[in-house]
Amino acid sequence: MPTNNKIMKSIFDWFRRRFKKWYQPDPMMQKLLQSLAMTEEHEISCDDVYAVLDQFAEAVMRGENVLLFMPLVRQHLDMCPDCRAEYEALLDMLQPSFYVGA
Amino acid sequence: MTNTRDNDAWLNDLQAGGAQRDAALLDLHALLLRALPQGLSRLLSPENPEFESLIEDTAQETLLRTLAGLETFEGRSQFTTWVYKISVRVALNELRRRRWRDVSLEGLEGDEANDGAPRQFASSDPLPESVIERAEILQRVQQILAEELTERQRAAMRAIHMQGVPMEEVARRMGTNRNALYKLMHDARLRLKHRLEREGLNPTDLLETFAQE
Repeated sequence: MPTNNKIMKSIFDWFRRRFKKWYQPDPMMQKLLQSLAMTEEHEISCDDVYAVLDQFAEAVMRGENVLLFMPLVRQHLDMCPDCRAEYEALLDMLQPSFYVGA
Repeated sequence: MTNTRDNDAWLNDLQAGGAQRDAALLDLHALLLRALPQGLSRLLSPENPEFESLIEDTAQETLLRTLAGLETFEGRSQFTTWVYKISVRVALNELRRRRWRDVSLEGLEGDEANDGAPRQFASSDPLPESVIERAEILQRVQQILAEELTERQRAAMRAIHMQGVPMEEVARRMGTNRNALYKLMHDARLRLKHRLEREGLNPTDLLETFAQE
């Protein structure tokens, strides 16, 4: 019976969703596992990033491959929300209509 | 307003003193007033009544810091980009301070109520094998978290990852600075990662396991 199959399927789906919810890491752990997966043995600090952020942003604006010559800066920006926010604001300031230093 | 100076000219004018320096400061101020709204408009609406004063205050503070730190400019970027970098730090720190100053972060003193306590499961439930295995893994990970992280580290992680509190603000409440906090968190992440790996639990594999239906 197609109708019965549908009902059974929806019941199974409900149970599956419930179990999945119960046996999933909570959001805190999910985020932590994500950050652990991205953790490197050697990471540079916020001060190290700040020291080269202007140079890095200009390289990005020129379309250079920053992953190649500044991979540690890129990795830090992926890990640190504060530095990332500063980097993004700096990039916005360097957009062509405002970038008078080039 | 255009930038007609190269790096040497900026340094020369700003170090000269008198009218030469004042003219350079005026030009730098004008450049900041043009660029800062573009840099901050995603963080604070230009319609916000505090927007204009934030721009002006940031520009003033940036000029002071620029003059005070001239000798630290190494010429690895355009001088104006270096100044913009200073202004971004000034503005974002102020925005973070305003946004979070009235928010209580009690968790930083260690609220363990909903933090990594192993969940209890009804063992008599007829659960599929994969789900039972997943629950056991989860319990082991939670146990490792409880053993490896201090209360303050967990509270800081919760504030940063779950509440979206800036590192700068968390550091301030913890009586440290952002640089030191990042190092502290990196040490904690590394210790956790190593412990998990020693126990055969790779974080990437764990994420994939939990992502499976």
